Amino acid sequence: MTRELRFDAVVIGAGTAGLVAGTRMAQQGARVCVLAKGIGSTHLSPATIDVLGYGPSRVDEPGPALEKLVLARHDHPYAQIGRQVVDDALRWFSGVVADGPLPGYGYVGGLERNLRLPTAIGVLRPSAMVPETMAAGDAPGLGRCCIVGTGSLRDFHPALCAANLRRAGIEARSVTIPLEFERADMNALGIARRFDDPTWRARFCAELSPLLGADDHVGLPAALGLRDPHGVRADLEHRLGRQVFEIPSLPPSVPGMRMFEILTSALRADRGRLILGAEVIAVERDEHRVNAVSTHAAGHDARYRADAFVLATGGFASGAIELDSRWVTHERVLGLPLHGVPGPDEPRFVPTYLSEQPIARVGVAVDTELRAQGTENVFVAGAALPGAIPWREGSGEGIALSSGYRVADLIASGSKTPAEAAA
Amino acid sequence: MVTLSTDVLVIGGGATGAGVTWDAALRGLDVILADRHDLAQGTSGRFHGLLHSGGRYAVKDPRAAEECIAENRILRRVAADCIDDTGGLFVTTPSDDPAYADRFIVGCRETGVDCEEISPAQALREEPRVEPRISRAFRVPDASIDVWKTVWALSHGAQQRGARILPYHEAVAIHRDGDEVTGARLRDARSGDEIEVRARVTVNATGAWAGRIADLAGIEGVRVLPGRGIMIAMNHRLVNTVINRCQMPTDGDIIVPIRTVSVIGTTDEHTDDPDDHTVLRDEVDAMLDDGEKLVPGFRQARALRVWTGVRPLFEDAKADETETRDVTRAHALLDHAERDGVRRFITITGGKLTTFRLMAEETVDAVCRNLGESRPCSTHAEPLPGSESGATYRLGERLARKEAKLVDEQIICECELVSRDRLEDTIARTRTCNLDDIRRQLRLGMGPCQGGFCIYRATGILHGLGGLSAAQADAALLDFLQERWKGDWPVLYGDQLRQARLDDWIFQGVLDVEHLPS
Repeated sequence: MTRELRFDAVVIGAGTAGLVAGTRMAQQGARVCVLAKGIGSTHLSPATIDVLGYGPSRVDEPGPALEKLVLARHDHPYAQIGRQVVDDALRWFSGVVADGPLPGYGYVGGLERNLRLPTAIGVLRPSAMVPETMAAGDAPGLGRCCIVGTGSLRDFHPALCAANLRRAGIEARSVTIPLEFERADMNALGIARRFDDPTWRARFCAELSPLLGADDHVGLPAALGLRDPHGVRADLEHRLGRQVFEIPSLPPSVPGMRMFEILTSALRADRGRLILGAEVIAVERDEHRVNAVSTHAAGHDARYRADAFVLATGGFASGAIELDSRWVTHERVLGLPLHGVPGPDEPRFVPTYLSEQPIARVGVAVDTELRAQGTENVFVAGAALPGAIPWREGSGEGIALSSGYRVADLIASGSKTPAEAAA
Repeated sequence: MVTLSTDVLVIGGGATGAGVTWDAALRGLDVILADRHDLAQGTSGRFHGLLHSGGRYAVKDPRAAEECIAENRILRRVAADCIDDTGGLFVTTPSDDPAYADRFIVGCRETGVDCEEISPAQALREEPRVEPRISRAFRVPDASIDVWKTVWALSHGAQQRGARILPYHEAVAIHRDGDEVTGARLRDARSGDEIEVRARVTVNATGAWAGRIADLAGIEGVRVLPGRGIMIAMNHRLVNTVINRCQMPTDGDIIVPIRTVSVIGTTDEHTDDPDDHTVLRDEVDAMLDDGEKLVPGFRQARALRVWTGVRPLFEDAKADETETRDVTRAHALLDHAERDGVRRFITITGGKLTTFRLMAEETVDAVCRNLGESRPCSTHAEPLPGSESGATYRLGERLARKEAKLVDEQIICECELVSRDRLEDTIARTRTCNLDDIRRQLRLGMGPCQGGFCIYRATGILHGLGGLSAAQADAALLDFLQERWKGDWPVLYGDQLRQARLDDWIFQGVLDVEHLPS
């Protein structure tokens, strides 16, 4: 049996872009449903909002750099979004976080200056806006810092992190504290659950305190609790008498899970729906409009009708854009045309790993209002957009956030196609 | 300069050279083994893992078939722990000449290769992914062999008997005293230091590179034509039995299940440079099409990586042409005393992995002749370290061992189940500062994620334990990523591209390795 449901807008994909688009539309009163095959990119992401980190040399002031990029690369997502919308989206997002379910937790930063935060291997990575729990790691104010790990967390190596920070001119050292867990392997999520427990935190601080010297900052793996990271950081700073900051490492990402929690709470608060485990398996469209999509989910199949659709399914990483064994690309959800695909005889990849790969900028072809080519009511957000190289230029979350925000506003304002406008 | 003295210097640390070292050590000779790179980094480490039954050569090359089946039986005893007794099938697909099957039966009978015809229905029950339109099927004792495990076992066994193993030592000069070779000068590739080795006999076991070493000894006309072949590893066992097409040997007609993957191979293209590892996209495409002929849907399966190996095809410029045509696939033992009047120098080249032990035996026999000593070979009877029980390797052994200690042991590479203890032991034992050496020892980073999760961890551990500077650790990580990419990108599509993008996210996004301080 197939159920039929009707919404103003259906968003496909529950990464940052999809959740932002859904939340923003729900806040504006639309009936919204976010459908996703599974949890999106949030749990993999360090959850810093990187607007523009490299262009290709390091960007210190993302605002002006963004304006230059908009002029220089017409096919870049930011060229369709513009600096002002990115700025609005950042402010909106920090408001959503502040009103969210994690008490006191916030994001800091903006387009004026990139923060430079240590990665788990000790590179100072530029980000425009970051969780407050990471902000004290910003390089200019870092002073003397001690990077702390525990042998049980195989995903964080404090000595290597500190050694590379020293190479970058930071006064850093490291300690590894021998904490016993019930199993030898812990990931960041397991540690975060411990940090949520005040008794465990007290024990942790008692172990660590005697090992700290002249350090004025303490860097820890990004695992300072899931429920109350603000409180955990404050407690640690109080007990250790030093500024504390989180350093993101391999997935699963605790800050990313917090981001997922914040955005889904906001979506639900305005009666938006989120359905995970609902892969879109069929689409009903006439020449220029998608009218409905069908999903196959536990229990029953369902058909979702909507006036507008947001495609926020990601790029090659999510599988929504596929390169098949004959090296031909496809958009797999709605069968939309792609932009940026190298010609049939041109290379897809180059032999040097740390070079720009020719397929990297492939995405769903869109017009200047992020509308998928050949459609009137399908809008594209996030990594499905063409023209960017998110990891290399440090722009992934910035594009996800601002394009999700932008398409929500375009849909809410009843964006018209040039043909509609003329009529 | 340090000078070492030994009975036998073996140059070339592939399966043949390691086999010679083990054989000579078992015969009580003092041996030094040197390789310009790590052991098994050349042709030996770049093959598909097939332990031939001989079936492949039963029609085309009966002598090779006889050697293969004899060695297959011996290796199952003495190198049991390195062998997965998968069995093999030859199947006649719609793309194959149906008349070949009867010639195959005769060939197997005449060469002594065990071969049992089974019904196509039975074959498909055993291997349900195989092309359903097969018309005939034959069971043969093919198996898969872990070449790294074999080479480590050979070298450990030899070391226990006093042999000295010198990886990363390149022979830069071969010393001659008149008509006698007296040893070689080796350069340590890592420190740049040179050492002198005085040897009573020097063995050139450098396979596709044998001509170069012969040149160093001033011996002309040792021509080895490198035959380049590509192989593709698929991310799981598409089949559990070695599957061969029942036809005259050609490209892409074998799928070998080995460890957790299956490997399809191979091609045969002449190249002038044995270090040429080029993979052409057209070759990959053709190989995927060949896979479809054996396992329909092959293109939808996930390809992990591609690599090339170079077969050493020997052509003796001193022999006449008709002769060389026949012997190119067989191995060639050149006692240069007989061939060139240069004593105490032996070249062994050509051949195939399955017959490495026989090649080693013949080589050490020649060594003994040069020394004027009589020392019988015992490699056919003496099990390698780890193979004493005679039990063949079973897929799942490693998982069973890990599950027993799941709570107490940290796993660094989930794909290949490499524990932190084993990683730390290996770093301490080999004193390597190279993640690729560790990969060959432990299979770290060889699974579906291609190092996405384990390489940061392993770099951190290597930095902490190996006494590396941050700059050295960073270089080790970046070198590994580049080395990995080399075999990834020509077969990157489908789900493996998703995996690669996740890895990019980790290395380029989360860790930002591109901007490590330089």
